Amino acid sequence: MYKVVIPGDFLSDDVSRAGEGTYIEGGKVYAMRYGVVDEKEEIKVVPFMGKYLPTRGDVVIGKIIEISFPYWIVDIASPYEARLHMSEVTSDNEKRIEFGSMHTYLDIDDLIVAKITNIDALMRIDLALMKEFQLGGTGRLITIPYTKVPRLIGRKGSMIKMLKEKSNCFIFVAKNGRIWIRGKEEDMKLASEVILKITTEAHTSGLTDRVANFMDSHRSRMGKGEYKVMRDERRRFRAYKRW
Amino acid sequence: MKEEGLELIKGGKRLDGRSFDELRQIRIEVGVLKRADGSCYFELGDNKVIAAVYGPREMHPRHAQDAKMAVLKYRYNMAPFSVDERKRPGPDRRSVEISKVSREALEPVIIKEYYPKTEIDVYVEILQSDAGTRTAGINAASVALADAGIPMKDLVSSVAVGKIDGEIVLDLNAVEDNYGEADMPVAMIARRNAITAIQMDGCMTRSEFEKGLKMAMNACQKIYELQRTALIERYSEM
Amino acid sequence: MGLEIMDDVRRDYIYDLVRGGRREDGRAFLDYREIKVERDIIKRAEGSARVKMGNTEVLVGVKLEPGEPFPDSPDKGVIITNAELVPLASPEFEPGPPNEDSVQLARVVDRGIRGSEAIDLDKLCIEEGEKVWIVFIDIHVLDNDGNLVDAAALGAIASLLNVRIPNERYGLDGGEETMVLSNKPVAVTMVDIGGEILVDPNYNEEKAALSGLTVISNPDGTISALQKYGNGSLSEDAVTEMVEIGIEKAGELRRTFLEP
Repeated sequence: MYKVVIPGDFLSDDVSRAGEGTYIEGGKVYAMRYGVVDEKEEIKVVPFMGKYLPTRGDVVIGKIIEISFPYWIVDIASPYEARLHMSEVTSDNEKRIEFGSMHTYLDIDDLIVAKITNIDALMRIDLALMKEFQLGGTGRLITIPYTKVPRLIGRKGSMIKMLKEKSNCFIFVAKNGRIWIRGKEEDMKLASEVILKITTEAHTSGLTDRVANFMDSHRSRMGKGEYKVMRDERRRFRAYKRW
Repeated sequence: MKEEGLELIKGGKRLDGRSFDELRQIRIEVGVLKRADGSCYFELGDNKVIAAVYGPREMHPRHAQDAKMAVLKYRYNMAPFSVDERKRPGPDRRSVEISKVSREALEPVIIKEYYPKTEIDVYVEILQSDAGTRTAGINAASVALADAGIPMKDLVSSVAVGKIDGEIVLDLNAVEDNYGEADMPVAMIARRNAITAIQMDGCMTRSEFEKGLKMAMNACQKIYELQRTALIERYSEM
Repeated sequence: MGLEIMDDVRRDYIYDLVRGGRREDGRAFLDYREIKVERDIIKRAEGSARVKMGNTEVLVGVKLEPGEPFPDSPDKGVIITNAELVPLASPEFEPGPPNEDSVQLARVVDRGIRGSEAIDLDKLCIEEGEKVWIVFIDIHVLDNDGNLVDAAALGAIASLLNVRIPNERYGLDGGEETMVLSNKPVAVTMVDIGGEILVDPNYNEEKAALSGLTVISNPDGTISALQKYGNGSLSEDAVTEMVEIGIEKAGELRRTFLEP
């Protein structure tokens, strides 16, 4: 049974157990966000909603929104923009990129997979391109609240593993709530719908079993799902092809 | 002004049948808007109010950013059709002041350090007005902020008390407000008994003020429970 | 006074002082700064006053003009209160339309006057439904060293004490006539700093405090306006204590500056 809390709800007298989504006041731990309590050694509150707060080491899917030599400015589905230095796309033996030609490597609206390497005090965020994730070809980009990502992955990756197997899709889930799906059109449709289901029912118990049943029995019957911040974009990782 | 002979209290009851310390009917719905990050619809008697929260999002203009914390913005706006005599669209002095007071009512609970350099926008639209719109707006905004996942210390609850026919009463409606002798909106963090907004106009003695404050504080506890229930029930298991 | 930005160091300093029972300018917690009120200093205005409260300086002018009544009160005069935070008064004030601070200042002063029924609006009717006196109360801030509300409210009532009705200028009967002031509301503003209540905050105290409260009260001890400020919260005890202090201090100010 899950427990829903609202900001200010008392969680514990043991401040050493205060985790994400909580605050400490007067020697007590309280909920800082509206969400579900995740209580192990540490007490966390997993919010239902929220904006992605970049953290060093996170792997994110970003979208190029601006070119400002020598950086690409990247939207990472967060209140903060990130930047990718041009040296990230050239290897040592290649000549350096000329001013004005950055767009031939990565252009506005291109998607990238990148790791957050640094966040400074001014919230400037540096990215490193993860070239091993060349997701080329046609696929779908879905954005869900980043707070639902752990649920989508499941305990030890159980949920996402099942989702990949049963949908026959390649699915890449980034920390910032962006998901890249590639597969046959029908398969991508099913995967999208199931991700939506997981997102809206993330706080309920027995979800993994329900999802498995859903995928087995509803394989051919596709409804039209809707989630308030979910976006479904069909696009290409065309930038990667140029290298 | 009050017409001769108009009695706001008859036989110990108010014109709408309420007792002195009785709230109007309250209805709260969470997450009513699709595009907003958080939202809440709030009814207080004949007041119909909707609040939307956007953010934290990148703050513009950049020079207004705070390097250490998020900036909270609050816009109280009355729809032109929300009152008997059409309200001219756009901000007037009253709405500018209400926006400021309402923002300050909510500031104490927002943990702004969590998202430096960003802004959190609260938009409150008064769709139908029957006195007490600012308090309904604060109640709606507080729930909408929680719904948007904004880091907060607690909720804020708000209600007005006033004086009609010499009696201190809770939650004035428009007739009572128009012909009453005083109006005092209060906002507080109910669980902490901390007052985050108080205004008053009209005429009250000190003991009437103290009685009114207690009445408002008690009512805020009830409103808090309703806000809480609305939030918890939204995600109760189907 | 040059540009002053409230930094953390200054804030800590103010809090440290208060913890030690002291204030920046050596006052006791419940003391006002030195106040000077000069009346009738603007010849062209029907009433005026300059209030100095320490370094804070506010000029209030009252003008009367005939105009149309509001449709819902055809036999009553109209009060319009306005405040301008002109850029000469502070490095933080900018030219342009009224911002939320100036709007709030004007509206709080206005509510105090209205709530106490200091101006008898029935007596300001010239011709029912057609023409009434409009009383413009204009607050002009000259120097902002904190607590503009008390200075402005005091200046407004001081200006209204002896308002000449300009019958002659507008070709109206009535001759030499003075507007009757039927009440004397006085504003007292306090801030909470580390749990202590400080009356008449100066600029630095105002900036350092998380919450403040203005209490406008009348000679009979009734309250005609309250307004809480700031991003902090106040306990019920703090609010009721502030109301008590506010009523008491208002009496002192009234006796000193508003009695003939």
